[in-house]
Amino acid sequence: MKKLLQVLAMAITITIITVPSAFSVDFSGKTIEWIIPFDVGGGSDVWARLYSPFLHKYLRGNPVVAIKNMPGGGSITGGNHFASRARPDGLTAFGSSGSTLFPYLLENPRVKYDFAKYPIVFASPVGGMAYINPKFGVKSVSGLKGFKKQLAYASQGATSLDIVPLLAFDVLGLNVKAIFGYKGRGPGRVAFEQGEVTIDYQTSPAYIKNVRPLVKQGQAVPLLSWGMTDKDGNMVRDPEEPELPSLLEAYEIMYGRKPRGPAWNAWKAFFIAGFAAQKAMWLPEKTPDDIVAAYVKAAEKTVADKEFQKVAKASLGGYTQMVGPAARKTFSQVLQVPKKDREWLINWLKTKYDVTIK
Amino acid sequence: MELFFQTLAVVLSPSHFVMLIAGVLMGLAIGILPGLGGITGMTILLPVIYGMEVHSAFALLIGMVAVIPTSDTFPSVMMGIPGSSASQATILDGYPLAKKGEAARALGAAFTASLIGGLFGAAVLTAIIPIARPIVLLFASPELFMLALLGISMVGVLSGQQPIKGFIAAGIGLMLGALGDAPAVPEYRYAFGIDYLMDGVPLVIVGLGLFAVPEITDLLIKGRSISRVATLGKGWLDGVKDTLSHKFIVLRCSIIGVIVGFLPGLGGSVVDWIAYGHVVQTTKDRENFGKGDIRGVIAPESANNAKEGGGLIPTFLFGIPGSGSMAVFLGGLLILGIEPGPAMVGEHVDLIYTAIWSLALANIFGAGISIFLSKPITRLTLIPFSYLAPFMVLIITFASYQASRNWGDLFALLLMGLLGWIMKQYGWPRPAALIGFVLSDNLETYLFISVQRYGFGWMVRPGVIALALIILVSVAMGVFYQKKKPSDSREKYEKILS
Repeated sequence: MKKLLQVLAMAITITIITVPSAFSVDFSGKTIEWIIPFDVGGGSDVWARLYSPFLHKYLRGNPVVAIKNMPGGGSITGGNHFASRARPDGLTAFGSSGSTLFPYLLENPRVKYDFAKYPIVFASPVGGMAYINPKFGVKSVSGLKGFKKQLAYASQGATSLDIVPLLAFDVLGLNVKAIFGYKGRGPGRVAFEQGEVTIDYQTSPAYIKNVRPLVKQGQAVPLLSWGMTDKDGNMVRDPEEPELPSLLEAYEIMYGRKPRGPAWNAWKAFFIAGFAAQKAMWLPEKTPDDIVAAYVKAAEKTVADKEFQKVAKASLGGYTQMVGPAARKTFSQVLQVPKKDREWLINWLKTKYDVTIK
Repeated sequence: MELFFQTLAVVLSPSHFVMLIAGVLMGLAIGILPGLGGITGMTILLPVIYGMEVHSAFALLIGMVAVIPTSDTFPSVMMGIPGSSASQATILDGYPLAKKGEAARALGAAFTASLIGGLFGAAVLTAIIPIARPIVLLFASPELFMLALLGISMVGVLSGQQPIKGFIAAGIGLMLGALGDAPAVPEYRYAFGIDYLMDGVPLVIVGLGLFAVPEITDLLIKGRSISRVATLGKGWLDGVKDTLSHKFIVLRCSIIGVIVGFLPGLGGSVVDWIAYGHVVQTTKDRENFGKGDIRGVIAPESANNAKEGGGLIPTFLFGIPGSGSMAVFLGGLLILGIEPGPAMVGEHVDLIYTAIWSLALANIFGAGISIFLSKPITRLTLIPFSYLAPFMVLIITFASYQASRNWGDLFALLLMGLLGWIMKQYGWPRPAALIGFVLSDNLETYLFISVQRYGFGWMVRPGVIALALIILVSVAMGVFYQKKKPSDSREKYEKILS
């Protein structure tokens, strides 16, 4: 009992120390510029516009949260702008996506931003589900054991978010030929329906709306989801499609053991960067702690808001939005990828797709 | 069916109707401003629709996008400057008509054609939605490549008697289009480490550079007003009659508009050229094209409004945009919590009906308001151009800067303007260059995918063979009619064309 009281006392003390500082930051009459390195109407833009009215509501002083779209260079342009121009006064924030993180992880020399240095406010996960053309007679993942036929996958490019599906197919030992040049997942799905490609994946919201009807009509066979990380960083089934095995389980079904080695490690890091923490809000380097705390507080209130939960479920899927320390913890798995695993991946891109990062 | 008319009542209810009219007025304004098009309009409206009731938001967005190809005719006809990428081809005959003092007639014909085309598009959308999926699925990458090729084959007929110059100009356009990130490999072409060039040159800038800058420059050098005659000739009623008497051109070009809009990946910015090329190819007495033939106005204008109806089909059914403005519209749907897809026809059929009614009503109001405005606006052609020029320069500079909001936009406009002016001086067909530019990405991407996926087998697909025959027939028709014509009138035609 005494111990419990001590803990309580400590918790109260900590709250007293930290909370007032969060409340001392007042944004009255200010405009916050939230840089989104993509065009209006894109996935990141929609995501930011879902959040911005709630941040306006919950940041003290109700600042205007203006989305500044800064498309170009596959989101590197906007990222570099943030890195070189944003001041740590809490009036500029940045919204990253998997496409912003990948060139950073691949050590693209054009990248001038460094996520290891920025405070993270919150991160939003998204899942992915893979499915196959029914003409092969494969009914589930176990049907892929010893499956040697060549499959075709509609890809946007080997250094794009497609690293995750392509590497997943590789981990499973599938013979998949990537066909490059498609403009996104939407055209990829149409190519699947046309029979132009035979294996495909969609992010969870698109999968639920567009692929489930195909499954019902017998035009697609679902295989697996990429999975999702739980709060301790373990890979679990995707809560949006819990009947499907995750990639981890799929590997166990096919090979009877857990996956390991550089391919799996690299896959997991890129999966977290591209899916489990796909979109994240950042503040500039050296932003004072009280400002960061104010943002985190506003994000916490947003995530708890009933109205937000309703719109978020429709557009982002029913995943838990990660705020503050939770987002940092998940993200640290991306930053802590051993150099040798990253080098393995860069080499894999070189040998398999003849791509050199430059 | 009952629901269909119930939706009309919803759209006509005051709260929705106000939104529709607001959208129409905004669309008309954006259309009139050169260089700004549907993408800009959608970008401005998207933040507004957050939290709005879905049907009202639809009325607003669709009302706006539906009338841009109506009012964008004003700058195309009056000043020879594309009002948006959808009416670039209208310049070829609309502008010469304005020079002859017949701007009102050209506008009257254009708005009537726009109205009929727009209504046709809405009607086709109504009829085809239940059966559209399999049709869209027929067009895989090889077929889309052939369609882009069909677009390029129009270059011949648009280049008059010097097809060689036309093909070289188209080649310049293709090369310009290849600038920036390559479609299928992670490489940058001709970027020289400059960030701006990594995304290529925006279409708006190429269009304004090639057409607007040379026109403004030349008018200033000559120091006169746009119209060569001091009084305005025939009125807009004559234009309406013109359009009605060419009803088959309107019908054919509306069909072209719907098909081009309907096919995802082809992009809406070629539809006016394809319609224009089509009408020139299929007409026997072509001497007047490029000198102010009213048919050259009717064709692109009926096609570009019909396109919007077609463009909604892939957006709703597949969640993939049929054009740039539809891409932003798609983002709007997501903001409203609607994920388009096959379920759309079942779950949200009321929304599709709202879209159809909004499209139809917006076209009616858009055309009506434009006709009403045309009388005062046509008087602008009588004003000495030196008074208008500063305003025009400001507008096109502003429009160019909207493309990517980078100072590089202004630099690119200057260079493109120089290129356009040189081409104009030396009689090189600028339309050919623009078509090459617009189609370059499609041609490359779909060829690349076709070869990766099918090897050489893509060439023997039935759809590809059918489209190849259409291309052959269309080129042959162009050549056939061309021979029958006296050559001196062709020269004049070229002069104005280039």
